[in-house]
Amino acid sequence: MISEAVSSPSAAPASRPEEGSPGEIRHLTVRYGTTEACSDVSFSIARGGVYTLLGRNGAGKSSLVRCLLGEQKPTSGEARLFGESVWRHRARLLARVGVVPEEPDAPPSMTAGQIADFCRRLYPSWDDASVTRRLARFGVPAKTPFGRLSKGQKGQVLLAMALAPQPDLLVMDDPTLGLDVVARRSFWEELVEDLADRGTTVFVTTHDLASIEGIATRVGILKGGRLALDEDVETLKSRFRRIRYGNRMTETRTEFGSELDQFEAVQVKVRGWGIDAVVSDWEEEKFDRFRRIDGVEEAESSAMSLEEIFLAVAGEAPAEAGGETR
Amino acid sequence: MTRHLHVDFASATPIWSQIEEGIRRLVGSSALAPGGPVPSVRELAKDLRVNPATVAKAYQRLADAGLLTVRRGEGTFVAAEPPAMARSERGRVLKEGANRYASLAASLGATSGDAESELAAAWKRLGNGAKREGR
Repeated sequence: MISEAVSSPSAAPASRPEEGSPGEIRHLTVRYGTTEACSDVSFSIARGGVYTLLGRNGAGKSSLVRCLLGEQKPTSGEARLFGESVWRHRARLLARVGVVPEEPDAPPSMTAGQIADFCRRLYPSWDDASVTRRLARFGVPAKTPFGRLSKGQKGQVLLAMALAPQPDLLVMDDPTLGLDVVARRSFWEELVEDLADRGTTVFVTTHDLASIEGIATRVGILKGGRLALDEDVETLKSRFRRIRYGNRMTETRTEFGSELDQFEAVQVKVRGWGIDAVVSDWEEEKFDRFRRIDGVEEAESSAMSLEEIFLAVAGEAPAEAGGETR
Repeated sequence: MTRHLHVDFASATPIWSQIEEGIRRLVGSSALAPGGPVPSVRELAKDLRVNPATVAKAYQRLADAGLLTVRRGEGTFVAAEPPAMARSERGRVLKEGANRYASLAASLGATSGDAESELAAAWKRLGNGAKREGR
């Protein structure tokens, strides 16, 4: 296993290389009456990657997930799984997808064992041992009905059921919502284990940005139904920076307020000590020029966490309004 | 061992590069002994809570550089004789690091004496750390 993972850095399963992306959204629009939940959204989930869709509540995530799983017909555009339209071939395509829904939902009177017995019959490639292992590791009692389990245990039962058929794609809609920090931690650790073992492609929506930070390979940010951003985590983190500086009028300074013009500033805040800005196109050479501008003092730039980047892109202050606060 | 490896998610340095650097450092200070085992990709991924593909990428680069050897079915090990950096390459890397440190010190208003004594102290701490690891 170890040597295999090292020899194929992507850890992606090599099966069926000829078929399309495990998941793809093409010009997807969802309208409810006059409200548009998703507007012309397109992106693709790379095989073996962990695509993380972020967005504030009401940004259109749930509609998009429902379309991806063929539970809802988009107003226009389409969702595809493994190169085929989900809406047209739902049953066949969904057999290769594991789903962990936002609300852990299963018949409340059935025990974890009974649920597993029921699901086993539906899938040809059911891995019983993995279910037993997972439930034992998280101390999910075998004889307690699902309805009486804790929220964390319910989540583990559903993750176990989603992974047991050895899916090619795992779709999770905010799977750690409402879990305490310990349960959240073990949930993501469990996911890392599965990635190490099988290199399963993952599509996840979450608000737990701190936990997903090291795991996500690509991030999409939905804002008001539009895809504001769709990018590899590595490049995203290299171009976003926070810049803080003192802004002084000097005798020789001819212009004031235009010093950030060479950058794409997505957020600018005036503080008592100076300016606090977030730029989306940071480069070392540009910053060197910037700090030499007459009147720009003690300029510092710092890298940003995924959470900070998300706040700057999707947070309450739109870029235009931020610019006007000066 | 892995508790000496840290990943800073808020850093601009990619995670795979931080892991690669960390392991180079541990090998360099003999905290990871030549010929000894390194944690498996999945163990390290779980400990650091990062994507296994990220750890695999770091290991792959270290294996390509001759620092690690992969023995099929057994695991990943530190090479019996990790390659020494070519003299010219080492000089270049040292010089770059020194330039960065000197400009940091200067921008903080430190004297060259301050900077040198901090460097000496850091060097000393590094030595003690390596000794502790060796036991």
